[in-house]
Amino acid sequence: MSNLEIYNNAFKEAFGVEEGALAGLEYQAIPEWDSVGHMNLVAALEDGFDIMMETDDIIDFSSYEKGKEILAKYEVTV
Amino acid sequence: MLSGKIAVITGAAGGIGRACLDLFCENRAEVYAFVREERPDLTEHISQLTAQGAAVHVIECDIGSEASIKEAVRALTKNTKTVDILVNNAGMVLEYTPYQMTPIDKIRRVFEVNFFGQTVLTQYIARMMSRNKSGSIVNVSSVSAILGSPGNFEYASSKAAMIGSTKESAIELGEYGIRVNAVAPGITKTKMVDENMVEQIHENTLNHCIMKRDAEPREIANAILFLASDMSSFVTGQVLRVDGGLY
Repeated sequence: MSNLEIYNNAFKEAFGVEEGALAGLEYQAIPEWDSVGHMNLVAALEDGFDIMMETDDIIDFSSYEKGKEILAKYEVTV
Repeated sequence: MLSGKIAVITGAAGGIGRACLDLFCENRAEVYAFVREERPDLTEHISQLTAQGAAVHVIECDIGSEASIKEAVRALTKNTKTVDILVNNAGMVLEYTPYQMTPIDKIRRVFEVNFFGQTVLTQYIARMMSRNKSGSIVNVSSVSAILGSPGNFEYASSKAAMIGSTKESAIELGEYGIRVNAVAPGITKTKMVDENMVEQIHENTLNHCIMKRDAEPREIANAILFLASDMSSFVTGQVLRVDGGLY
């Protein structure tokens, strides 16, 4: 599975959204992406990429696009 | 009681932390002992535990340093992706100082270890617990947070902050199946107390203790074991005083 597929699957599983809804998706833009959903997403990404995110990055993770930038810090290219 | 459970205990080198280490090993937990530095006596003690079949891993961690906590968590996650129990026991107390002569940097230093460091670690460990949608966090506060403690403003305040943290995080982490409780020990026979307790204050405190004695570290560890284990499966957001009936 490619990194993009892992990344997208994390969002789809955490929020129950379709792939077409991912571009431009932002924190709190949908009811599912609340603080609880956010932590579920983080857990899925950490498991998927075998990383441990720092709290500051979790706070900064505000959108689908921003998440890709943040993962680059952990040497994950999406 | 803890068979199959993975536990992280901070401040595991001595006092209450070591008592927890021993008790958790007796109850078949796999223990990650976070200590500020490895010492020969601790290494020897752990060798004895492992010779008896215990699973203990030592990870160096200065709870007062966020960088050290991150490194310790990285070392932890190399070995396990989940944690079932966290005992936030590491703490520090400084020498007796009257409130109006307590400099703010002294207060900050104690808060770094007793509150901020514990909080940073708990945030990391709670994420690991949330993978299993279960976990138990036990914060070691102090009865001084409830009754006050002359000459220990920074210590009592930081331990009171742990109580607030316990109640708040119990609410938020409950969504992930994580219980959070605290113990509030009374005076306990530890090196930290021996080195810092003023004799007059000690005597006054015992005069207000129904059981008229200090606690053994094991007695505090017993209460922590209860809260850590499934025996307290419907207990969260609580502070259990283990103080011999201080009034």
